[in-house]
Amino acid sequence: MSLSTPLRRACLPSSSIPQTQCRHATLIRRPKRPYTFTQLVTLSDGSTYTHRTTSPAPVYVSTKDTRNTLLWNPSSQKMLNIEADEAGKLRAFREKFGRGWDAARMEEKDEEDGMEGGAEGGREPEEKEDNLMDLISGYGLEAEAKGEAKGVRQEKEKSGKRKGGQR
Amino acid sequence: MASRRVPYVLQSLSLRKRSFRNFQCLYSSRKASTFNGMTELSEDVDPLSSMQTPGPSEEHRASFDPIARSRRRKTPLPSSRYKFRSPKYYRGPLHPHQPPPATDPDSREFIPGPFSLPRLQQTYHSTVAPDLLTLMYKHHPPGTLPGPSEPRLRSWDGSSPYHKNRPLRGPRGGPTLLLLRRPITFRNIPRLEKIHVHSFLKEAGSEAAHLQVAGMIMQAITNVRATVFRAKHTIANFNLRKGSPCSVGVELRGEDMYNFLAKVTEVVMPRIKEYKGVRGKSGDSSGDIAWRFGSETVGTFPEIEINYDAYPPKMIPEIHIIVCTTATNDKDARLLLSSMGVPFHGKHVN
Repeated sequence: MSLSTPLRRACLPSSSIPQTQCRHATLIRRPKRPYTFTQLVTLSDGSTYTHRTTSPAPVYVSTKDTRNTLLWNPSSQKMLNIEADEAGKLRAFREKFGRGWDAARMEEKDEEDGMEGGAEGGREPEEKEDNLMDLISGYGLEAEAKGEAKGVRQEKEKSGKRKGGQR
Repeated sequence: MASRRVPYVLQSLSLRKRSFRNFQCLYSSRKASTFNGMTELSEDVDPLSSMQTPGPSEEHRASFDPIARSRRRKTPLPSSRYKFRSPKYYRGPLHPHQPPPATDPDSREFIPGPFSLPRLQQTYHSTVAPDLLTLMYKHHPPGTLPGPSEPRLRSWDGSSPYHKNRPLRGPRGGPTLLLLRRPITFRNIPRLEKIHVHSFLKEAGSEAAHLQVAGMIMQAITNVRATVFRAKHTIANFNLRKGSPCSVGVELRGEDMYNFLAKVTEVVMPRIKEYKGVRGKSGDSSGDIAWRFGSETVGTFPEIEINYDAYPPKMIPEIHIIVCTTATNDKDARLLLSSMGVPFHGKHVN
């Protein structure tokens, strides 16, 4: 017994080593590639471009992207003034329970819009007009005599007050 | 003269077409006149000429219809040339039938493309690259050389006598030298090299479905089939056993890379609530910038959003995006990425 056990142990590893050289074949797999479609992406400002995507929808219309996000447009005054009232809940609350904390601002807005519905849509042309007025008045100030510019300057001050801090 | 000759040739051609026999006669008579002097040749040269044989008969002409014959043929004709066929199996370097490299269209691993020029790539080449060159270029007037660069290895201060003949000290903070920033010229403007999208799945060990869902999502958002990675070591804290699948990842290059980055910056990032941008500290100080998207952000990718119900909401993974650029420091890489629309916030660490 004592002789046979070490013999066996000596034999075991030698049997596990392959005696002949062997090189198995490896399958060369074809790469898997998902099917891609060409998709037209429409950004929120209406600009479009195409790209390849796995999504089968031919057109992707985005509502929120770099064109209407403040982080990508830090100098845009329009996006700074937007109130976070996407669902219209704040507006509905204000209409229902009256106005306390922002009563003054709302009255001003009513004067401006004439009880118009869309807050941003109503404000946009007004803002443009104001800017134009500033431009005209500024031009007048520089070009013409200072005596005439008095009335114009008053108007400018008034517009600034209405805006509630445009700059 | 030439103008007159041309119509004559045309005439003769038209004549040949119209009456084959007539032309034959003409030709044979002329040939007879030329060969009259050479009598020795006549024995060696075959007197019969193809010109003298009669044309195809009327029946043969009527039966000749190659288009109909090719239509009647059931199987395609064997190709005339030898075509190399890549072996299905690789049998080692000593086997006579070797597979071609993956770039060969005959290879089984060949991936065709690119098929389009993505918008971001066009923007890079037309706008971003010239701007980057303008920002990074450092001009040396002709005839002057840039000053000697600082030594990369520190010397010993000599406070101890044992400092003599020692090799130079390594850089402060670690044993590795940072990459050198070569002067930027039109040849080495930083550009995108590749993007790794990676997702480590904690639950992959217990439930394989997480792996499947993550792979599906990864393929949907990147247009590339995901690879499953296995754990290298056993780590008890992460429930990892060596060899068990633990994460999925995708390497994007070329067209897919540009499409993916454009999608991320144009559509996905703006939709994150109160997003400030990628952290300015991000980066491995050799031009690779990485950031993370949580599972709720992964759900807002257009491809996921369109059939959000197809994925179990709890199994949507969070992903890490590693953008590798050819810039050799983070500052340049950040400049490149911010020009492509990736916002950065916080303190910028280079």
